[in-house]
Amino acid sequence: MHNNVEQIKEGMYQAGYICDDKTATTLFLSEALHKPILVEGPAGVGKTAIAQAFSRLKDLPLIRLQCYEGIDESKALYEWDYKRQLLHIQAVANQQLDVEEVEEDIFSDHFLLRRPLLHSISFNQPTVLLIDEIDKVDFEFEAMLLELLSEFQVTIPEFGTIKANFAPYVFLTSNATRELSEALKRRCLYMYLDFPTPELEERILLLKIPEIPNQLAGQIAEVVRKIRQVRLKKLPSVAESIDWARSLICLGKEELDTEITLQTLNILAKYQEDCIKLDQMVQTQNSLNFQPLVGDHLEMYESRPTSETVKPLFNPTERFKNRSKK
Amino acid sequence: MSLFDTMQRFFEDLRREGIPVSPSHAEDCYRALTLIDWSIEDFFYASMFTTLVKDYHYKPLFDDVYRRYFKVPTDISRLQLFKLTSPEKEADTKAPGEMEGPPTSEGVESQGTYINKNASAPDGRKNPLVQDFRLDSLDDVRRMEVLFPLIAKRLASKMIIKTKRNDQNKVNFRRTLRRSMSTGGIPVELITQRKQKEKPVIMALCDVSVSVLQFSCFALALLASLEKFFQHVRSFGFVDEIDEITHMLKHADPVTLRTSVLKNAKVVGERGYTNYGLSFKNFLERYGSQLSLKTTVLIFGDARNNWFHDQSWALEEIRNRTKKIYWFNPEEQESWSTGDSRMKEYLKYCDGYFEVTNLLQMEEAFSQF
Repeated sequence: MHNNVEQIKEGMYQAGYICDDKTATTLFLSEALHKPILVEGPAGVGKTAIAQAFSRLKDLPLIRLQCYEGIDESKALYEWDYKRQLLHIQAVANQQLDVEEVEEDIFSDHFLLRRPLLHSISFNQPTVLLIDEIDKVDFEFEAMLLELLSEFQVTIPEFGTIKANFAPYVFLTSNATRELSEALKRRCLYMYLDFPTPELEERILLLKIPEIPNQLAGQIAEVVRKIRQVRLKKLPSVAESIDWARSLICLGKEELDTEITLQTLNILAKYQEDCIKLDQMVQTQNSLNFQPLVGDHLEMYESRPTSETVKPLFNPTERFKNRSKK
Repeated sequence: MSLFDTMQRFFEDLRREGIPVSPSHAEDCYRALTLIDWSIEDFFYASMFTTLVKDYHYKPLFDDVYRRYFKVPTDISRLQLFKLTSPEKEADTKAPGEMEGPPTSEGVESQGTYINKNASAPDGRKNPLVQDFRLDSLDDVRRMEVLFPLIAKRLASKMIIKTKRNDQNKVNFRRTLRRSMSTGGIPVELITQRKQKEKPVIMALCDVSVSVLQFSCFALALLASLEKFFQHVRSFGFVDEIDEITHMLKHADPVTLRTSVLKNAKVVGERGYTNYGLSFKNFLERYGSQLSLKTTVLIFGDARNNWFHDQSWALEEIRNRTKKIYWFNPEEQESWSTGDSRMKEYLKYCDGYFEVTNLLQMEEAFSQF
């Protein structure tokens, strides 16, 4: 039992993904219990990458369904190739064929466009199915997925039910922009990927960018950790720190200093306000400590008064007491 | 006590904290536990977390209960833990592999109770969802804050459904024609345009005096987080003077809001005692010209007017100029209009009123408009 989880951990490392014990346990359980995994977390922490690495680990094809608002069955499941059907009809128009024959022809497998979901279960080997950003879809679509997720089958009115020969490994990712239905969550195992610890981030940087000097990786991990303590609109995630590390290497830097950080802040912060805020912090403190500025929102947040220290400015009830005494 | 009992109590406690643990979650959890090595904490924790918790916002609550049950000094193994907590020994000496098997379906079904909404723990702690807004300790406030993003999210998804219904509208000619190509030019399927729903302009008036401050801040922060569903949300705080506090809501954090409103806005006038009448009057004078029939006014407060004149004519005038007025009162309905509460007078001019004593009721009230 123990070995299984360790194996997955090791395998994922080989596939270019470092996962901790908890993540590895979840991966192992999803395989053992045949349940999809719902991965949530901030953007850029490697939700999609985990599915990609898993497909490399298992050496199985990865099929990806990118969800967006308004996606429907014809984009996700299957569709008839109307244009080719029309062309076919025109092409055979002069041949005086039997009507039934033509009909059979144009509704054959040949004219069926298999969209990702149908594709993933009609393989003759297991696949890794990645349903990306599931929180973007409509409720109807989410309901349609339930059958696939629990039974690994799809019902199409024209065909009947298509059951997967080999159950796919399913990963769903979500940025939690809206709440998913209980029914969907119940069918999945839940995994939350948070920002990594500095040690883990350093290891990730070393794995992803082999040419990076050890010292630089450590520094980047530490500075990024400090920046994540600051209240920003969008916190830098692993993807950003990897980008940052790559750009620093391109610029030929071996270690961090305030000057180069100021020049490259826009790689870490994706909003103008965030950039300005970080810039100010570096300039005024002349270091990379990212302490909160005086009068900053964060400072107020941390020094929030306890109920004992705040004296009520006014207390109506006391006033009545006094009044009744008089 | 057997392992099974311990687990059942663990699930019960989770439900009491507000985490919905259904029988099928419990079953998954048992199945997962039979598969992993208990001697490594991370494995044990992860298999419970992944099967029981389906929303990140529940994590702090889950960790809390988990710590009470399973957190032990590292040198004691998890197996021994069950021995320690159990008076009887027979059930626990088994190795994890031969644990009494995944519980039978009857066992699982018998515990099919969901969150008991009014249950309170033996130590007097309440499910933060039904915790009263009048809080004495900051700990309670924090526990409530943990749930806050969850409620905002849940509410937002409810509102999305509402805005998407009813597409009995004009035909979208272009899309219908394109779709008809597949049926040889015959428009079998009509595609209609989605109606653009008019979003209301919200003006929220909040009593921010100490007695209801907690409640007001939660309400305002929740409102701010739902901003995208309204065309415009403007918020005003008042005690006996009224001031706009919209800009403070940008970060929508109930904790900082409490302090920053009192610090940075002019909400306290000459006397410093809550005065609804004067506040309404001032609001009408200063912002009356900006009211329109698109505006919905929300009032948060207990209507306790400290025996000042209620000046309900001001509210009536506001009513005449706006679309709707809703009142959210943090007191129970029985105590409305008792003592110095002028609820009865003000109610005449409200289109709706809600008793909102806890987060659950607030969520329900909010989902109605």
